[in-house]
Order: sequence, then C-alpha cells, then structure tokens
Amino acid sequence: MSKGVVLVVDDEPPIRDILSFYLKRAEYQVLVAENGVRGLEEMAKLSPDLIISDLRMPEMAGDEFCRQVKGEPSTRDIYFMLVSALDGSMSKIGGLNIGADDMISKPFHAQEVMAKVDSAFRLIAMQKEIKRQNTELTVFQERVKGEMELAARLQMGLLPTLPGSAPGIRYTHRYLPADGIGGDIYAITPLPDGSTALMIADVSGHGVTAALISAMVKTSFESHVRVSLDPLAWAVGMNQDLARNTLAEQFATAFLARIRPEEDAMDYVVAGHPAPFRIPGGSAGGARKPELLEGKGFMLGIDVDLPFTAQRAPFHLWDRLVLCTDGLVEVEREDRTYLGEEGLMRFCADLPEDAERAADQLIDQVRAFNGPAAFGDDVTLVVVDRMG
Amino acid sequence: MLNIQARQEGNAAVVTIQGKVNFEVTAQLRDVIRDTVAQQQPKLLVINLEGVSFIDSSGLGLLVAARNSVDKSSGKLHLCGLPPQVKKTFDQTNLTNYFSIFTTEQDALRGA
Repeated sequence: MSKGVVLVVDDEPPIRDILSFYLKRAEYQVLVAENGVRGLEEMAKLSPDLIISDLRMPEMAGDEFCRQVKGEPSTRDIYFMLVSALDGSMSKIGGLNIGADDMISKPFHAQEVMAKVDSAFRLIAMQKEIKRQNTELTVFQERVKGEMELAARLQMGLLPTLPGSAPGIRYTHRYLPADGIGGDIYAITPLPDGSTALMIADVSGHGVTAALISAMVKTSFESHVRVSLDPLAWAVGMNQDLARNTLAEQFATAFLARIRPEEDAMDYVVAGHPAPFRIPGGSAGGARKPELLEGKGFMLGIDVDLPFTAQRAPFHLWDRLVLCTDGLVEVEREDRTYLGEEGLMRFCADLPEDAERAADQLIDQVRAFNGPAAFGDDVTLVVVDRMG
Repeated sequence: MLNIQARQEGNAAVVTIQGKVNFEVTAQLRDVIRDTVAQQQPKLLVINLEGVSFIDSSGLGLLVAARNSVDKSSGKLHLCGLPPQVKKTFDQTNLTNYFSIFTTEQDALRGA
C-alpha cells in the first residue's frame, strides 16, 4: 500500500522522471502529466493527495492549473506545490497568493523536494483526521439537534391546547423557551365541581435538565389536583415531590390557583413566583387599573417541611388575569434600566379586548423594551379571561 | 461580570460576590463555595452579597444548596449586605425566613 498519491506535472521528461524515481522509492504512488490540461485529465481518473507542478508549461501553465484545482470544491483541498525558477516570473508570495500551498524554486535538489513532500503528507494526514473528526462532530450535533427539536415539540405538547376554555373562563398563552427547550411549564385542568385548577411554574436553570423537571412538576400538579380541591394541599404535595426527587439546587417557583367562577373568586398559593396581575374588567379591553395579587412564599422543592399559605382574591365576570414567569419581568436593558413588576404592570394597563392580541401586544412591548437583545430566559405568558 | 473572593476570618470563611448572579456564572460560584467548604470546613460561612446587582433563580438555588452543605457539616451559613433588589427577590420567595440574614459583614461574623 502506498503512502499516498502524488501527481507530477512538468513538460520536461527528465524532471518528471527524477521526481517519479524518488517518490516511488519513498513508496508514493505517482501519476505524471506534461501540462495542466493533461494533469486535470489524470485527476479525473484518480484523485491525488498532492500535486507538484511546474509553472511554465505549454497549453496550461502551472498558475492556471493551480487556480483551477483550488477553485473547484472537490479538489481544492489537494496540497499544491508550485515549482518555479526564481527569475522573476513568479515570486514565492505570488505563488501562495494564487492558492498554492508551497513553492519550490528551481533548480532544486530532489532531497529537498522529498523533505517537503514528507512534511506535506504529515499535514495532509492531520487535515484528514480533523476532517474526520469534524464529520463525526457534525453528525453528533445533528443528532443532538434533532433530539432537542423532538424534545421541544414534546414539551410544547405538554402545554394546554389553544385557544382554551373551561367553565366561566377562556385562556391563551405564549411560550418562548430561551434554548428551544426550557424549564417553564403551565397547566390548566377542570375540576369535578366546576372550578378550574391552574398552575404556572418556572424550574431553576435552563435547557434539558430544567425541561425534564418541568415535566415532573406538571405530573406532580396533576396528581395532587386529582385528590384535592385545595391549592394549599397541592403546594405542600408538590413541594415534597420536588424536594425528594431533585438535587439541592433544583426547585421551581410556581403560582397555583383554583379558579371558582361560581364564587367570583380564586384561591391561590404563591410559591416564590412573580405574583400575577388581576385586571378588573380587563377582558373588555381598554385602559384599566391592574392589581398585583398579594402573597409570597417559598419556592417548591427547597425543603420537605416548608410551610405555605393560601390566599383568596376576587375574580369577577370580565376580569382578566395575567400570569407570567420571571423571564418577562426580570428584563434588564443594556443601559441597566430594569422592567420589573412596575414596568410590566404599566404595559398591562391598556390591553386589547381580544386575549390573543393582548398576549401578542404584551410580548411585543417587553421585547421592544429589551430590544435588540433576545430574551435571555424562558418566557411564558398566560392570559385568563372571566367570561359569562 | 462576576467577581468572587474567598478568605478566612478565624473560624469563619467569607465569600464576597460582586456582579450579576445568573445561570451563566453559577458553575463558577458553585466551585468557589464547594472548595471553600471542603478546604476550610468552616464553622461559619459568610456570603457577602453587597455587590450583587441581580440574582436569578439558579443563584438562589446555589445559596440554598450552600446552606444544605454547611448544615451537613454542622456549620452555619450567614448572608449579609443584601442590596434592595436582591432583598426583594428574597422577600418574594420567603427566603428571608430561610436564611440567617445580617446587615453588615461584621454582624454576620459575630452572628449577632
């Protein structure tokens, strides 16, 4: 087996012969041609790893031959050595400028050429290895990307379908994970007594780990909702689930609510989550006065024994509830102005009647505040309207 | 930009954090806290947050994990110098009641 394929292109037979002799002795496979045109014909039969070409030749000279080889994507990686007399016809720099990888000046010693060829082949071997690793990496990246996209679609599938409605309410959401997949999750489940259970949660961190835990949070919420109508019991249960099943640093902020249209009210627990805004009469649109829901509490998953407290707020006919994760609140611009609750509340003070348009407008406004930067954190926005 | 410094004060270790504590820097901060606890095994770990402009949920998680790890070695964790913005985050998440929080570093070191 040869160490590699070398194409020698020269119009002088003695030079072709002497280079061939040395190359073959060093166990290279040798192809020969007397000018650039013949050289290209040889290359069509067998692709060389390296070309040693004279500059001055009839039909197609070495510089044009080099341009053609380097201009063609399938051959441009072939190592090209241009042989030229140092008589001013082509400087070393000129040769490298047209794309040659190395220059050999005439007259040359065969040993010098062989040393250059051996060194070039070490480079070629390295290049091949890098290419191989690159291909491997690309394949791996593609696979990871594919799996992430699949996971992202799966996660999207965990969200309620839109537009959604439950007894006495209509709702919509916008879900914008920072890395294609994220730790935000929200769920809305009708309860047997005609009320509705609602959860919005944000798992610490980003990416795959956060996404896995967010699925766990949703499952935990749904299992506790099945056995109790009390948001406090859901919070206590979910906190225990999360504290037992995740690492110390992993937890979730959450807002859990039982919406009770027949009582014009909702019972809720704030677990380290930005409190939602209630906009009295907000589902009719126009200028309104949003109110921040009261309450604070531990995040879920820090410690099994932490206490939580339940609250109650009115939720009248035509009221609107705006819930979000901190990605929409903790927005700091480059000039260090900070949106915060107050800023978001201002945006909530004048929203369109239509919940879909209201959601789009809110996202657009926060994006414009943050612009031109993209959201750095997962962002989830949920709009719930009390309807007749 | 995050600047973290750790030093020893008698039986206590003091970690001073300056800058924005978010997801991008938690790994760096986690290493410093872990190394400090492992090497000095302090009776008291003081984390000074005076220069922290912002802390997100991953940063809070790290502090909770730090408390758990000093708890395990029967040590104590004291936080001090919470700027208003950080204090607000702590209030909202009730963590003000979970950590021992002091105004100044001296108070935190005295444990008073």
